[in-house]
Formats: sequence, structure tokens, C-alpha cells
Amino acid sequence: MTLVDRTRAALDQALAVYEGSEYAERLTSVRARLDEPLRVAVAGRVKAGKSTLLNALVGERLAPTDAGECTRIITWYRDGHTYEVVAHPRDGEPRQLRFSRDDGALDIDLAGLSPDEVDELVVSWPSQALRTATLIDTPGIGSLSEATARRTWQVLTAEDETPADAVLYLMRHLHPQDVQFLQAFHDTEVSRPNPINAIGVLSRADEIGVGRLDAMASARRISARLAADPKVRRVVQTVVPVAGLLAETAATLTEAEVQQLRKLAERPAREVESLLLSADRFAELMPELGLTSIERQGLLGRFGLFGIRLATALLRRAVASTATELARELAERSGVNDLRAVLESLFFERRDVLKCRSALLALDALTRIEPRPGSDAVAATVEEVVASAHPFRELRVLSSLRAGWVTGKQPVLDDLERIIGGAGGAPHDRLRLPPDADPTAVRAAATTALANWQQRAENPMTSHELAVAARIAVRSCEGILADLARHGDGSRPAGDLEQARQR
Amino acid sequence: MTESKRPVAGSPELARAMRVVELGMQASTAYKRPDLADRLAAAKRTLAEPGIHVVVIGDFKQGKSSLVNALVGTNVCPVDDDVATAVPTYVRYGPQPRAELLFHGDPPQREPIAIDAIRQHVTENVGAAAEPPAGVIVQLPRNMLASGLVIVDTPGVGGLGSAHAVASLAAVSMADAVLFVTDASQELTAVELQYLQRAVEMCPATVCVLTKIDFYPAWRKVRDLNEAHLHGGADIPVLPVSSTLRARAVRTEDTDLNTESGFPDLVRFVTSRVAGGASARIAASAMEEVIAVCQQIESQFEAERSVLADPAKNAQVVSELTAVKGKVDALRSSMAKWSQTLNDGIADLSSDVDHDLRARIRQLIEEADDLIDEFDPADTWHEIQSWLESTAAERVMENYGLLRARADQLSEQVWRHFQEGSGEILDRLAVYNPADVLARAEVEHKMELEKMGVRKQAMTALKSSYMGILMFTMLGSMAGLTLGPIAVGIGLAMGIGGLRAEKKRQLTQRRSQAKNAARRYCDEISFRVGKDSRDTLRRIQRQLRDHYSARAEELNRSTAQALQSATEAANRTKAERAKRIADVDAELGRLRELRKHAEAVIA
Repeated sequence: MTLVDRTRAALDQALAVYEGSEYAERLTSVRARLDEPLRVAVAGRVKAGKSTLLNALVGERLAPTDAGECTRIITWYRDGHTYEVVAHPRDGEPRQLRFSRDDGALDIDLAGLSPDEVDELVVSWPSQALRTATLIDTPGIGSLSEATARRTWQVLTAEDETPADAVLYLMRHLHPQDVQFLQAFHDTEVSRPNPINAIGVLSRADEIGVGRLDAMASARRISARLAADPKVRRVVQTVVPVAGLLAETAATLTEAEVQQLRKLAERPAREVESLLLSADRFAELMPELGLTSIERQGLLGRFGLFGIRLATALLRRAVASTATELARELAERSGVNDLRAVLESLFFERRDVLKCRSALLALDALTRIEPRPGSDAVAATVEEVVASAHPFRELRVLSSLRAGWVTGKQPVLDDLERIIGGAGGAPHDRLRLPPDADPTAVRAAATTALANWQQRAENPMTSHELAVAARIAVRSCEGILADLARHGDGSRPAGDLEQARQR
Repeated sequence: MTESKRPVAGSPELARAMRVVELGMQASTAYKRPDLADRLAAAKRTLAEPGIHVVVIGDFKQGKSSLVNALVGTNVCPVDDDVATAVPTYVRYGPQPRAELLFHGDPPQREPIAIDAIRQHVTENVGAAAEPPAGVIVQLPRNMLASGLVIVDTPGVGGLGSAHAVASLAAVSMADAVLFVTDASQELTAVELQYLQRAVEMCPATVCVLTKIDFYPAWRKVRDLNEAHLHGGADIPVLPVSSTLRARAVRTEDTDLNTESGFPDLVRFVTSRVAGGASARIAASAMEEVIAVCQQIESQFEAERSVLADPAKNAQVVSELTAVKGKVDALRSSMAKWSQTLNDGIADLSSDVDHDLRARIRQLIEEADDLIDEFDPADTWHEIQSWLESTAAERVMENYGLLRARADQLSEQVWRHFQEGSGEILDRLAVYNPADVLARAEVEHKMELEKMGVRKQAMTALKSSYMGILMFTMLGSMAGLTLGPIAVGIGLAMGIGGLRAEKKRQLTQRRSQAKNAARRYCDEISFRVGKDSRDTLRRIQRQLRDHYSARAEELNRSTAQALQSATEAANRTKAERAKRIADVDAELGRLRELRKHAEAVIA
């Protein structure tokens, strides 16, 4: 029985217990969530660039962005058949809202509701990207408007049912408030400080070097340091730098914009450098450029100074000449492709585990808060699933590793983190193989790893914690081999597993 | 470094004041009053090195160090995309570029370093060093700094909630002006606004500097938003600047670019409003010293003159002066009221401050215990550590605030008691003043000034060894304390149920371990801060005692000289008397002239 099946069974058991009560409806929706896309919240401090990154990921300018504090209501972006926006007021029935698109971004008419009266907005939008994940845009923490900040805390640290399965945490640089926040996000009984469902994003990465052309290199260096920082490791899986604005623009670049940039690229390099010393200069000087002030403001808003500098350099050096090429180059350099890859291996590949985790958390909370005859049995089932399901055991080893509770030689710990899926759940990720490794190579590597971890688990010199973790790693290796056997790679099935077991 | 080589072009008031003080010193020496010359020499030293502190504060990574670099036109403060400044840097005038590390101690230890080695010492990775320095002093030959300006770059490490940020607030309390730095990427956050408001309470001369305006096209909007946020409380101006443009403008000597960088406004604020204002204050208090010195010498001559004019009055004058001498002797004795007020006051203050600190630390320990009981230290120890560090720093700050306020009060009380004793004496002497009414009016005026100077006495003591560094070293040495790791003897807790009892036992153990660590930390703070406050109070006591003893000695000499001159006058022949009267009148005229110069500077 798979994890999803076991989770569904636990939910069915709970539904029988809570039938007819006000909780039945909630349980049904929790169960329905198992079949829906993964829910990923985009969180962070004020002005971390949450809406911008969300747009970049969707590939469309949906969420409005602005220089001031902008997102004041939690907004869900989910895949749908039609374009529609629904407001869920604090009191009263959900109602559909009228909206228009202002320069791409949604301009939603709250129909007389004040932002404080609205619990959340749900935007349904037919989109390929949203089919993989439902994205939740949240107001920033550290906002001057306290009510706004409090809402984000509520949505991410809710007692009973966590609305998000995973979170992308945006930071501009590691601020003490960030750590505090991430801590709180993980502060629930079952998950403990658990980096499993969080990825850190060093957003607005181009700003770290204040727009120098090597800014992204600097941002990558900082990300690497942050990702190795014990404080950060305990709360997020990894840290990825992304120049959000650039990524958003790359995803929505127009031919007209490229035309305008070309005018700039055609001027002598020295002149352009002097013009691009500051945003004000670009907005006002060099009338011979042939760009209107509206066009210039438009470019600044879309690219930022860093983006204009970069795009001009790319066009001049003929690295890119068409809009498509430029978009590809900008996207690559913005780091958004790396983020997508990380999302894929750390979230989407594990979506069932993450969704089941959310569901079981909700069940666990319900049985604690609302005990009734039969709920004990439900709690026991939940505990049993959480304790015995291998993916959860992997997660626990991972968080223990991250928290520094497992001690041993660093290379061994690094291997351990890999094999249990710390860098992605796919076999090649676990075994440090190239993505296109053929099944024979995978099987060979898995067999070696299996023997290796078995030996370590049985070695009396191994510390207790490491031995326990090694046994989990053994199971992970067995799982890889079993999958290979099941999918049939043409060669001897199942035999390896037997052989390995005997060794 | 000789003072006379220092260009004083930046502050005409100080230069003028300096000339008047030098005249006063010449006069004191000519009238054989080396004690008064010493007093003026001290005033001269202050004029030469006024130490006007401009403290740069703000959240980390907002561009504080870049701003300081751009202000002085050199890269003195290391700037990095990643690591933050961990140690305060004091940039001041010096004929040659020079850098020194400053270490905690009484007096602080200084250790010269190469100017390009600053980076190794001030960025946040210095924590590993045996003892982190308490500060770095950089001297630069810049005209802008020549007026005595000291620009303080405060540590950004840890952000505004950290112990370092509290230490920066302590520096703010000593500052003549504050530059609050925030970048144009976004409007002020709640934390920033709160911190800014606290800074303004301590130093009203605060401006908000909006940095990186070259990079953020929407900086005008952010500025407007910030202005709106700031409008509610004190009216704090927002100055938009770009350090990058300024650095480039300095390099290429491009005036237009410099204007665009916004720095001319900032420099104007710092040099004219801040340095100018502070210079005026410093000049005024030096002039007040000159006036006091004039008064002392005048009193001598006036006693002599009244006997010269009417020898029959001799006996009366002598008996009056003898009575005054008795009073002065009382003022000089250890039984004098001011002296007792001072000694008792310091003793009371010392015990009150100590008690206050203990109470605060005890409360802190209780809060820490509660916090540890609430969570599992294995998960939250990092947070508890930083919470403890910053909260302890807050408490120490509050305690220090008490010390400061009470020391201020005491200083004023001692002054009043001294004044009660001495004011009468001056009145007595003034009886012989022909320009009685005029003098009285001046005395009133002078009293106001003196009152202004009183606060200065305690403050000078607080700033003693090196202005503003005191709190940094105190809090800095605290930030260097480690709470130590909590051994996490936790199993992987793979199974559920059976291990519960064991888990609980381990949790209890972790908690008691954490509590012990917190307690040790608090004890250490109590110990260090307690010693620091006692030392500070001792310094205040010594300084006040020396100050007023010197004043009493001066009065004693004035009275003695007056008596001597009066006696000599009585013994002169009529012709000699007539000649001497002319001389004395001439001297009095000169003194009045000097006074007028001094008053002109104040006005």
C-alpha cells in the first residue's frame, strides 16, 4: 500500500468518526487536497519580491507589483478552466469580483470591501505552470501595517490545517527576522524544525551587488554560504539566488522592448556606461537616443538598472539578437531556471509525501483538539503511518542531520544526506549520478551503496544515531533497487535485491 | 601632533574662541595666576579637539560603511556584498592617514595597524580572534574633519534587534548628530521606524539618509513614503544620496555627478548644521571660562582699587576680605557642603545603580527560565541565545540610562551647593565693583551659561577616556561572551511511545543545562557591567572633585591676592596711590576689553 493510500485510509477512518459533525466537511476537503496540485506559499519579509517571483514562476504578470508595500491580502493562484477572481470575506459568502488587467497585472475591484475585511482572494487562471502547483502570495512580514503581517503568520503557522504544503521563503539577505519566521513556520509537533518543506530564495539577487554586472556571482557566493550556515540549514533545504525582476521580465519579454534596448546597444559603450550610472540619468539624459521618457520609465520598471545593463551588454556582444534569445539568456542569468530545477527535485518529485504530510498533520491536530469516541484509534493510525512510512523516516533523518543531531565524519554525513533524498528524491540524485545514467549504472551504484550502508549500520563502532540513520539509508537503497526491478530494465529482475540482502 | 598645525578653516567660531582663550592665558600669566592659566589651557585643549560625533546607524546591508567612505572620499570602512561590519569605526582628523585598534580596558589599549588591514579587524568574521577589538580609530587628513568632526560607523551585524544595535544606541546618546541610513529599495520597516524613534529621543539632531538612489528608479516614491512615516513624530528630514555616484564623482572630479549624488546637501548638514552648531556650543563654553577668569582677576584689582581710592576704608576692606577668606577656606575643606554632597551622592548612586542592575538581571534570568521551559532548547537555543544577548544589552542600557540621569542630577546638585558657598563670595567681592549694576546683570547671564556647563561636567566624566567608546566596550565585551553550546544528547527518536520517558528525561536535562548557561552568562554580565559602572562613577567623582577643588583654590588665591594688594595699597604714599590707581584702572580696562571679546563670541 502506498503512502497516499494509507493516508487516504486514515482520512476515511477519521471521516467515519467525525461523520455528521462540523469537522466532516473539513476532512473531506483535506482528502480532496490529496488529488489537487501541491500548494506552495511564497513568503518573506516586506518587499522581498514575492509577487515578482510568483509572476516569474507562472510566466505571466498576474500579481500586481509596486515600489510601496503592495500585497495586502493573501492571494491564491490556481489552475482553472475560466478566468475568475473570488473574494472570501471574513464575514459572509464568497463573492466573485470584477477585475481588469493593467499593463498585464491584475487590477482587482474589491467591490467596496476593505482589504482588512477580506480573508483571502482566489484567482483561477488557466495556466500550465499552475497545474503543477497552486501558488499562494502572502503579505510580507515586518510590514508597518501589523494586521497585514499577522495574516501571513496565520496562514503559514495555522494550528489545525496548514494551508500550504511547502514554502518558498524569500530573503534579500539573511535577516534575524527571517530566521525567527522560519523557525515559527516549523514549530509544529510532527514536523519539528524541519527543512523538508522549505526552500530559501535569495530574491532580488541583482541588488546585493547593487547592480554591478557581476552581482549574480556575488549572490551565488552568498547563497552557498547561507546554505551551509547551521542556522539556515535547520530551516530550509537550500538557498537559491534569483533576480526576480529579471526572471519576470524574461518570461514576458516583448519584441518592442528588445527594439528599445537595441537603440541603447548601438551607442558607444562609454556613453552608455555614463548614461546607466544611475536610474535618474537613464530617465533624463541623452535625448538623441530616440526613446521617449515613458519608454525609458517603462524599461526601468521592467528591467531595473541591472537588467538594462545586462541586456544591453548581451545585445552588444551579440550573445543574443532576437527577443527569444534574449529572453532565454536573461532567464538563465536570473537564476530562475536553477530555482525551477530545485523546485522540481525537492518539491514536485516529493509531492505525495508533502501532501500526505499536510493531511496527517491536520488529522493529528484534529484528534488532539477535538477528541471523541474513536478518535484515539485515528490518532494511533496517524502515528503508525508517520512512524513507519519510509518517506517520513527519511524526512526525519534529514531533519536530524540538518539539526546536527547525527554526528560522524563529514563525507559520510554528506553521502547520507544524499542517499536519503536530501538533494532530490530521484535515484540519480541520491546516488550522485548524471540524470541520464542508464539503469545498469544506477543498479550498480545502488548495490554498492546498499552494501556500504549495511556495513555501517552493523559496525559496532558506529554511533547509535548514525546506525539508526544508516538503517534508513539501507531501506532507501533497497527502494531504488526494488523500483528498478518493478519497472523492468531488461536485465535480471529482483535478483540484485536478493543478492544485496544476502551480503 | 602639534595643535597649531591643525587647519581650523572649517570653524571660524573655534578659531576666534581660540584667540580669546590665548589672550586670557597671557593675561593670567602676566597677573601671576598660573592656576587660572591652567584652567584656560584645559579650555584650549577642548577647542583644539572638540570631538563632534556624528554617529551613522541603520539596519545591516543598508550602506552605512559606503556612506562613511563616500563622505570622507576614501575607502576606510570595508564594504562587502556579504559580510557586515562588526566593530565601530571612528573616523577623525589626523595629519597622516593612520589606523589604530582599540581594546577594552581602563584606559583603553591602543594598537596601531596598517590602514589597509582594517578589513581583517572590523568585519563580522573576526569573532574567532582571541579578543575582538572594541573599535577602530582611523585618522585622515580631510578638511571636512578638521573642525573636530568624528564620524562613527556602527556595526550592522545582527540587524537592529541585536546587542550591537543597542550598543549603537548608546553611542547615539553621546552623539552630536545621527545619520540614520536606510536604502531606497523599500520604505522603512516597523523595526527600522521603531529604532529610529528611539534614536531621535536620545539625539534630536537626526536625519534619515536614503541611500542607493542611483540604483532604485522609484526612490522618490520611497522617499515620499518614508517622509509620510516620519511625519507623525519629530520632523526628521530625509536626504536622498548615492554613495556610488559620489565615489565616482570624487574619483573623476565631476561636479555635476557630485551634485546628482546628493552628497553636497549631506555634507552641508554635517559641516554647517552639526559641526557648526556644536562648535558654537563649544566656543561659548570656552568663553564662559574666560569670563570667569576675568572676574577672578578683576575682583583682586577692585579690592585694591577701593583701598587706593579711600585708605580709611582699609580696615573695613581687610576685615571683609578676611571674612571672605574664612568662607573660602570652608569651601576648600573636606567638610564643605558640596564635597559632602558629592561623596554621599556617589556612594548612594553607586549602590542604587548596582541594585538596579541586579534587579534587572534577576528579572532577565527569570524570563530566560520561562522561555527555556516553554520550548525545547535543542530546537531554540540559537534563538534563546540571541534573545538573551539583545535583551541583556537592553537591560544594561536601561541601567546605564539611570546612571546617566542620576549622575547628571548629582552634578547639578554639587554645582548648586558650590554656588551657594562661592556665589556669596563673589557677591562680597562685587561690593567693591564700581560698575555694580552692570556686573550683576552680567553675572545673571553668566549663571545661565554656567548652568549649561554643569551638565557638561558629568558628561565629560562619562565620556572620559574616549567619548562614546565606553558603552561599546561594555556591551562589546558582553557580545564577546559565549553562552556555549547545548549538548544535544538526543537520539533520533525513531520509534514512538517507548522512548517517551527517555525523551522527557533528556528534555529536562537539556533545560537545566540551558538555564545554567543562561545564568552563567547573566552573572558574567552583572560582574563586568557592575565593575564598569563603579569605575565610571569613580571617574565622575574624581572629575567633579578636581573641578570644584580647583575652583575653590582659585577663589582662595584671588582672595589672598586681594588681601595682599589691599594691605600694600594702604601702605603706599598718596602720590604712589594716585599713580597706582591709574595703573589699576588701565588693567581693569584691559580685562573689560577681554571680557567683551569673549561675550562677542558667545553672542
